[in-house]
Amino acid sequence: MTNNVTTTVLDLFDLHADGVYTLGYRLLGDRHLAEDIVQDTFLSALRSILSYRGEGPIEAWLYRIAYRTAIAQQRKRRDFPTDPVDMIDLAGAGSADVERSVLTLELAAALDRAIQELTPPLKAAFILRQIEGLSTRDVAHVLDVSESSVKMRLARARATLRAELKGYL
Amino acid sequence: MTCDELDALLPELLDGHITDEQRDAALDHLATCNNCRLIVDDLTTVNRLYEEHGRLHITPEARERIRRLLEP
Repeated sequence: MTNNVTTTVLDLFDLHADGVYTLGYRLLGDRHLAEDIVQDTFLSALRSILSYRGEGPIEAWLYRIAYRTAIAQQRKRRDFPTDPVDMIDLAGAGSADVERSVLTLELAAALDRAIQELTPPLKAAFILRQIEGLSTRDVAHVLDVSESSVKMRLARARATLRAELKGYL
Repeated sequence: MTCDELDALLPELLDGHITDEQRDAALDHLATCNNCRLIVDDLTTVNRLYEEHGRLHITPEARERIRRLLEP
């Protein structure tokens, strides 16, 4: 049983470590804290996976843990300054894309700056729906809000991002 | 369909979750309204940019370290 549980969580880790890291980093603006979110999320998943009842996709269950972990961390840190230089550097952190063109790096930096303009609830809704590809229903489950609230957050997030990225559209 | 009606339908339109009837009405409106077409084009591009470039990657070192913590 323990081995099955571990295997399931390791499979989830291989598939979603980057997604949880993305959510953690976007919400907290710090790579080390984002790594802590990944670690805490998957250790928590390992401890509690037997309580998962199949009430939705398992990735929604996982992101719910990740979101709550990140929000708890955010509340601990009343202010969490983000360093724009660090963010530009992080646009491709850890990926084997050192040969990215200057244009791509500029674009990635612009996307980072734009998304930092969103409030945490808008950010989380947009990341989960648009980057991680969860359904609106599953995003609602992760964030513990209604589907209509998710739609409203997505609309606001997209409008803000459109304004921030005007020069790239 | 009016501009306001299209605006209300935007989340479903961008996510592709609309009926054939709604899609036809939206396309009819977009064919004649430059402003709405611009908004839809921009938002479609925003979505695409983040789908392609929005995901970050944990470092291989951190991935390996955390994975080891999860192993039995």
